Amino acid sequence: MTNNQSDRFDPTDPVGAWRTIRDANLDAWAKGMATMVNTESFSKALGLQLDTMLAASGPMQKMVSQYMEAYLAQANMPSRAEVISLAQRMTNIEMRLDDMDARLDDILYAVRTLAAPAVGAAAAPDAAAEAEEKPAARRSRKAATE
Amino acid sequence: MTTVPNPALDPEVMTKRFLEELDRFTKSSDTFTKLATNNLDIKIGLTPKTVIWTLNKAKLYHFTPVLPPEQRHPVPLLLIFALINRPDIFDLRPGNSFVEYLLNQGYDVYMLDWGRPGLEDAHYTFDDYVLEYMPRVVRAVQRHSGKREFSLTGWCIGAMITTLYATMRPDDGIRNLVLLTAPLDFADKNAGPFNRWLTTEFYNVDELIGQHGNMPGFMIDYGSKLLKPVENFISNYFKLWDNLDNPAVVESYMAMNKWVTDLVDFPGGAFRQWVVEFYRENRLMEGTLKLRGEKVDLRNLRCNFLNVIADKDHIVPTCQSTSIMDKVGTRDKLLLHMRGGHIGMMVGSGANKRVWPQIDGWLGKRSK
Repeated sequence: MTNNQSDRFDPTDPVGAWRTIRDANLDAWAKGMATMVNTESFSKALGLQLDTMLAASGPMQKMVSQYMEAYLAQANMPSRAEVISLAQRMTNIEMRLDDMDARLDDILYAVRTLAAPAVGAAAAPDAAAEAEEKPAARRSRKAATE
Repeated sequence: MTTVPNPALDPEVMTKRFLEELDRFTKSSDTFTKLATNNLDIKIGLTPKTVIWTLNKAKLYHFTPVLPPEQRHPVPLLLIFALINRPDIFDLRPGNSFVEYLLNQGYDVYMLDWGRPGLEDAHYTFDDYVLEYMPRVVRAVQRHSGKREFSLTGWCIGAMITTLYATMRPDDGIRNLVLLTAPLDFADKNAGPFNRWLTTEFYNVDELIGQHGNMPGFMIDYGSKLLKPVENFISNYFKLWDNLDNPAVVESYMAMNKWVTDLVDFPGGAFRQWVVEFYRENRLMEGTLKLRGEKVDLRNLRCNFLNVIADKDHIVPTCQSTSIMDKVGTRDKLLLHMRGGHIGMMVGSGANKRVWPQIDGWLGKRSK
């Protein structure tokens, strides 16, 4: 590892001397650039660059999108929008299943507690957590969406 | 009269040094070739874990405890990272893993991976992540651990999400909240380039999201690198070249580089909200933020609260994290100033000596 040698000038080390000069230049440059990117004019330039890019790509993207939608409809294929809509519905179903799963656990816990009070008391949530397997003691607070 | 030769200009010494450098250059070239041809792969996120819950792209992991139950803290800990980049940074590599450290300290650790959003997730906003995902994640942790109370740690945008959740659902069982480099207060428009770039009238976030659906990961990466352009585009490569003969440095660089280049898109709705409602309008601190019509009042944050900030954070300047201390409703709160940068604070060489023990010292006492 040699980079820690570069912070002082050593005339017997020609590569080290070059490295010292390089690092000093880079440090100075880095400070200047860090100041520059934090200016209002740089922010405006960056924003304008993005805006120009979006203005150029917008019409092209719209055209391709319209063409693809028409093509997919002709080919009896679902469009991107339809696939996205389907995926969103599946996520909603997944959420409901997750809630139902939690509620089912609550019900099972309640039933087991009622059926065997002694066992239920022993399997109180905090004590049961220490067991390696904790099927009976699982419980939820309430429906997540409440 | 005899003349003493100047050792500094002794050709023999200089030749010897030059040959040493040549030898080092040969070794470095070998490593460089392997690096350039992707022959040096390094795996990250290796601590054993199990997926215990999934929803859409999100996965909840439970890390295999290393201590017996009687030596563990009874309150489980849930780690939440930002919507951008992967949560593997919590568990970078053996010997430099926050998760590994926590497990060794006796915590029962869970970690949420938000996944990689597709276009079908472009409509998700912070409302969804805070009020739909987080309660379910917490419920899954509670069901799996069998404990009602839990601790929550959020990093970067994950800190914003956990803050909002802890504020809006204070009775869900949250006992401790730990924030790491949290971007919360955007009042100072001169604080850091991101604040300037995103608040300029020329930054057309609606058109950007309209065209791309999600904010592309490569654009976020480009913006992050542009914060320190010389370091990120030039100096870091020179530093790597200088240290190619040092396997430890190369391994560390590879691990970090793997994480940095594993880009994740920012869900479009959430990104728009991030720019408009947080950066531009600073709604959380102004007290005007509403999620699903419900007002976010920081006085409702009543759990024990640790806020860790990094003094050299160029992504989230410290002023964006500190003002929350006066606004939260809890009395048990601590602001911890640490050395380091936004990410380096938690994974740098000094993290396991400075930052992690401080977090453990605070959290351990409150996890009994």
